[in-house]
Amino acid sequence: MCLAIPHTIDEILDENRALAVAGAVRTEIRTDLIDAPEPGDTVLVHAGFAIEKLSLSDAEELLGLWDELRSLAGDDHAG
Amino acid sequence: MPGSARETAALLRRISRTPLSVMEVCGTHTVSIFRSGIRSLLPPTIRLVSGPGCPVCVTDQGEIDAAISLLEKGAVVVSYGDMFRVPCGRGSLSSKRAEGYDSRIASGAMDALAVALENPEREVVFLGVGFETTAPATAVLVEEAARRNVCNLSVLSFHKMTPPAVRILAQDPGLGLGGFLLPGHVSVILGHEPFAFLPGQFGLPAVIAGFEPDQILLGLAEIVRQHESGIPALSSVYGRAVRPEGNLKAKAALERVFEVRDASWRGIGVIPASGLTLGKKYRAFDAEARFGITLSPGVPPPGCRCGEILTGRITPPECPLFRTKCTPASPVGPCMVSSEGTCGAYFRFFKGDQS
Amino acid sequence: MTDNPVTLGHGSGGRQSADFVSFLLESFRKRGIGPEMEDAAVIPGGYAITVDGFTVSPRKFPGGDIGHLCVCGCANDLAVRGASPDFLGISLVIEEGFPADEAAGYMESAAKTCGEIGMSLAAGDTKVVPVGGVEGLIMTGCAVGRIQTPSILSSSNIREGDSIIVTTSIGRHGAAIAASRFNLSVDGLESDCAPLWPALQPILGEKGLRCMRDCTRGGLGTVLCEWAEASGLHISLEEDAIPLNLQVKSLCDVLGFDPLYMACEGCAAIAVAPGCAEDAVRQLRQSPLCTEAAVIGRVLAGEPSGMVSLRTSIGGERLVDMPFGELLPRIC
Repeated sequence: MCLAIPHTIDEILDENRALAVAGAVRTEIRTDLIDAPEPGDTVLVHAGFAIEKLSLSDAEELLGLWDELRSLAGDDHAG
Repeated sequence: MPGSARETAALLRRISRTPLSVMEVCGTHTVSIFRSGIRSLLPPTIRLVSGPGCPVCVTDQGEIDAAISLLEKGAVVVSYGDMFRVPCGRGSLSSKRAEGYDSRIASGAMDALAVALENPEREVVFLGVGFETTAPATAVLVEEAARRNVCNLSVLSFHKMTPPAVRILAQDPGLGLGGFLLPGHVSVILGHEPFAFLPGQFGLPAVIAGFEPDQILLGLAEIVRQHESGIPALSSVYGRAVRPEGNLKAKAALERVFEVRDASWRGIGVIPASGLTLGKKYRAFDAEARFGITLSPGVPPPGCRCGEILTGRITPPECPLFRTKCTPASPVGPCMVSSEGTCGAYFRFFKGDQS
Repeated sequence: MTDNPVTLGHGSGGRQSADFVSFLLESFRKRGIGPEMEDAAVIPGGYAITVDGFTVSPRKFPGGDIGHLCVCGCANDLAVRGASPDFLGISLVIEEGFPADEAAGYMESAAKTCGEIGMSLAAGDTKVVPVGGVEGLIMTGCAVGRIQTPSILSSSNIREGDSIIVTTSIGRHGAAIAASRFNLSVDGLESDCAPLWPALQPILGEKGLRCMRDCTRGGLGTVLCEWAEASGLHISLEEDAIPLNLQVKSLCDVLGFDPLYMACEGCAAIAVAPGCAEDAVRQLRQSPLCTEAAVIGRVLAGEPSGMVSLRTSIGGERLVDMPFGELLPRIC
């Protein structure tokens, strides 16, 4: 129910609008639903609106889960 | 780094030891799961059941009928593409366009405002369809229309809320569900709390996941881990996008513009306090008020078992109409029409009897 | 066909179109005078003939215009049947009020493309209709060419073990049109509209060449589904092997489209006997239009018979069905 694609903000147009890029697509998006958008921010865009800024990474958190899963599977932890 | 999708699938096959039925609520998850071929990689112990998270599928025929009557009154009706071919007894937005009525496709909510500004002499109605991911965009549309005094624009709101539907399914012992894969982008808006009742009240694992195959597989693996350990919890593998408190700005917009009411879910029936309608402050922009519409629940076509599909009671191959009378060319119910409806997905991506 | 009236879905390629065409052809088929269902038909004397109507909107798009498209569309239908683009007939139906210079501009594009591939305009017709009779202008082409292959190329030649090749990255024309229609700016996106005859000529003599199809409306996915259905065999594709450029992928991500169903206008699907594929690809890649030519799948016997399956990037497997109706942007 929610096709939302990461876009990178290229240019702020005004308090509610920005130009953003997803791959090769450049499009105008609404920024009413996020705080303080800045060029370079990566945002999730749904129905023409940025609905959240994507944080840089949750790799550390997920790594913990990954290790638990591997241990459950009986994998060797050495690697 | 966590593993790739392939590695996660392999891990999942090793850690899943006891049978488990998992409901994936969200239609976008249904499509992603099919398109990436995840079903073919799952161990036989896991049964994936599709839920009612396809907002197009659960839009009641009475609601589409109301949209069509607005077209017939001469209004321009603007809708997301997903709704265009969904039929009610009198046709669809697509078939009405073929008859010469003015239905148009929006890829973003603000397209409706543009249409209204370009056509000041016409009534323009925006069909607000979707769950909590999509409703905030409609809220912004309404507030901007009010601010700019765009009097020829109104909204027909069919927005629905996901947690009440999930609660009904979690309560149903007959479904035998052992865990939920929760919609990633609804959770971006709502945060963790609205689904905490799943482990809290029903002892069911519930994991929020994004839509790439590696996310979905990791989410399933976490559900299996909780299931095998016997300790259910609400957790998220989509921390990159989902904050535990959700998107406060979006939630505030919903609060300002909408109020909650009972809603009729096609195939399921009325779910109390599960629908969003424009609040009193914005009644002037409510198409139901402006055009004097009363929504009455539609009657499902004879033999249509979409309700059982949407609640995961049966799979499409178990419906006698599937592939016989009900095909994408001639859909009987919404599950076949929508690109993310369970039956449409099965028809396009899957052959075989297993679910 | 139970649904009336005709909708845009009936014309968008894919299953709904196929059903509609069958419906329209009933009168001819029952009299035994119905056509071959290939891009161009073989007629006595060693010729192939095709006809194609062009209604593209917008009429000018990144990478071409309706005149260029008319010539390429017809010439490519001949080329995939192994026929050289020899003669073209053009019918123009023009709405009253349409700028005459614009119509002449499209004829200039068509003439330029014909000149490049050695095609001559042999016949033509022009009609003007009252306002509302057509939207602007419709161009229809009918092309005839001499078959240059030692034997007739046809989907009935497809056998178990054959390889499937695609000549270039998919979906560029459909993506360029969709970008225009839904107001998206996509850096570097252009239609792939181009005449394929020069690129395909080198492989026409290959003994193992089974058949070719011009992938137009409905995209690569539709062509392969039609081959699978016609042959009753199973076509298995490798997702990672299908050439797809960033522009088309991004547009499809944003609008919720599947690249397999996006229209092409300079892309051919080719079936060749086992063992011939690498050589065919090498020869195709000599042409600047086919630098991304690649083997993307194989023809197998067994289940699912008559269908196309895809081995996905993550090692899973799923079916590829024909698209249904117009492609519409999704938010779900």
